[in-house]
Amino acid sequence: MTDLAGTGTADAPTQETAIRLAGLTKVFGSTTVVDHLDLDIGKGEFFSLLGPSGCGKTTTLRMIAGFSDATEGSILIGGTDVTSVPPHKRPVNTVFQSYALFEHLDVTGNVGFGLRRKGLPKAEITRMVGEALELVQLSEKATARPRELSGGQKQRVALARALVNRPEVLLLDEPLAALDLKLRHQMQVELKTIQREVGITFVFVTHDQDEALTLSDRVAIMNNGVIEQVGTPEDVYERPRTAFAAGFIGTSNLMTGTYEHGALTLAPGIAVPVPGHAELAEGATASIAVRPEKIWMYEFEPHMVRIPGTVVATVYHGATTQYLVDVAPSVRITVLEQNLSRARNEDRWSDGDRIELGWKPEHAVVIR
Amino acid sequence: MAAPTVTADTTAIDVATPRRRRRSVEGKPRIAVAFTLLFFLLLYLPIVVVVLFSFNSKKSLSAFQSFSWRWYEQFFNDDQLISSLKASLFISSVAMVGALVLGTMLALALEKVRGRPARAVGTVALVPLVTPEIVTGVAALLFFTGLGIHLSLTTVILAEITFSISYVAVIVRGRLAAVSGEVEEAARDLGCTAFQAMRLVTIPTILPALIASGLLVFALVFDDFVLAFFVTGVDPQPLPVRIYSEIRLTISPAINAVGTCMMLVSVVLIGLSLVVPRLFGRKDNGLDLLSGG
Repeated sequence: MTDLAGTGTADAPTQETAIRLAGLTKVFGSTTVVDHLDLDIGKGEFFSLLGPSGCGKTTTLRMIAGFSDATEGSILIGGTDVTSVPPHKRPVNTVFQSYALFEHLDVTGNVGFGLRRKGLPKAEITRMVGEALELVQLSEKATARPRELSGGQKQRVALARALVNRPEVLLLDEPLAALDLKLRHQMQVELKTIQREVGITFVFVTHDQDEALTLSDRVAIMNNGVIEQVGTPEDVYERPRTAFAAGFIGTSNLMTGTYEHGALTLAPGIAVPVPGHAELAEGATASIAVRPEKIWMYEFEPHMVRIPGTVVATVYHGATTQYLVDVAPSVRITVLEQNLSRARNEDRWSDGDRIELGWKPEHAVVIR
Repeated sequence: MAAPTVTADTTAIDVATPRRRRRSVEGKPRIAVAFTLLFFLLLYLPIVVVVLFSFNSKKSLSAFQSFSWRWYEQFFNDDQLISSLKASLFISSVAMVGALVLGTMLALALEKVRGRPARAVGTVALVPLVTPEIVTGVAALLFFTGLGIHLSLTTVILAEITFSISYVAVIVRGRLAAVSGEVEEAARDLGCTAFQAMRLVTIPTILPALIASGLLVFALVFDDFVLAFFVTGVDPQPLPVRIYSEIRLTISPAINAVGTCMMLVSVVLIGLSLVVPRLFGRKDNGLDLLSGG
């Protein structure tokens, strides 16, 4: 299977960059869907564009594929400007959300379609299609028609049909969205394995933050046509730079107040210490974000930031318990506790309990 | 032209759900069963009578004597009827091809172009389906005579094509709507130019709809009377017009034979439109496209 990795990128002038988007803009009528996007995606990277629907992630992907013309800016693939190159001449292939299999062809016909367009010899096509079907573990379905396949199998055919052409970049448009949860998790693992095996750059569009975190080498969080943050999954989760990034990936407790004397005043009389942020201007409005699982409710350690609160709701989730705690009339904090020794009912806090919350200073991220 | 549409629809539903219908008969009140049987009796009895008397050895239209091919022989020896039959087959074939090409182009264009103008065109394209055919006929007649065009087979073909485009467009659009627009993009993604994507992927994908609508248009045009009556020339006349002129003079059992033959053509066409898509491995048949399948 290793020869699937032998893409024709060796002669590319920029060795490390697979895709460069420069000032990429798409305007539909009076709406700017993608707004001056600048992005470099490295060779062999598993890169995710993550965002809510309508954030411009699919439009960006379609511009890379060539289905949608850029209003402004340029797209470079392997160092070559392809901004005005038609889709059939771009060194990319796409896995579509609806799979878009050709119903009049069997699995072999579907997978070999791109190779036949390239005019490769028949024996070569047969060999490559066989290898691609082996890669997606679908060899026994070679003569099946698309309608005879399950959702997961169609997904694999779509993947094989794109990968067999050894594109420089593989574009995936929410490819797992139509699968049920269990199959989706299974396909996520396989997708990652296949990507490692073939070494092709994957650009993966999804609105599922779990999926993006699990699969990607790097994630770009998109909102309203702009990238809010680019980074490794750990980066964007642990150190969100914008309120949107903090809220979109996982849940986050966002606390906004006035910065005075090393503390954030959320409400009159309620100040949250924010140690180690000397860069904040005295009297300025600032926000901090703390992840629910990083807030402690007992056995505090020294140097922890501690504030009092009242439990208003307790939700049992099996592995975890979620508490909603009011620390000020308008500030409600979500806390997630592992159900370890405290699994029994009588050990959990109940609504109305006065408690104390605490977190390590480094877990409070200051949001721009 | 509302009547044939309804007939085609009923047929499709009948054929598509025989098992469900039979099952639901069990446990239903006898009166409902009887009423249904009466309905089908009234619907099909006149047709059965026509077929039966086409094999009558006597000229009588009320008493069946014995079996004979006599009226069929008379039909096939009647040069005027045969030339009308040939004319009708020719009109139907040309109209089918013309309507298929134009209707498919219309459907593809309406699928591509979005927005208010496209919706307006889409609506206008459906108007022939609901316009009383006599209005279409009179309008076509006024149009041709107004332009000083001599009425002939050509005018019949032009009128029939204009009228049939909507049927093709509706059926093909139904199929296109069921196919993701991404399929064509996938073809282009895999190395096809826009034209190759059309030829290698889009057309094969909508082939069942093309076959179904082609057969439907052929059947509709073949036994169309109203439109043909207004815009036909003198000689040769389309078969339905010819039959009409004949029975105005004398009622001959030979007409029963002609009618039976025409019905046979229609039944074969409907049968084909059900069977052919199955050869492409589709479980649903072509006419499901008419009943919204």
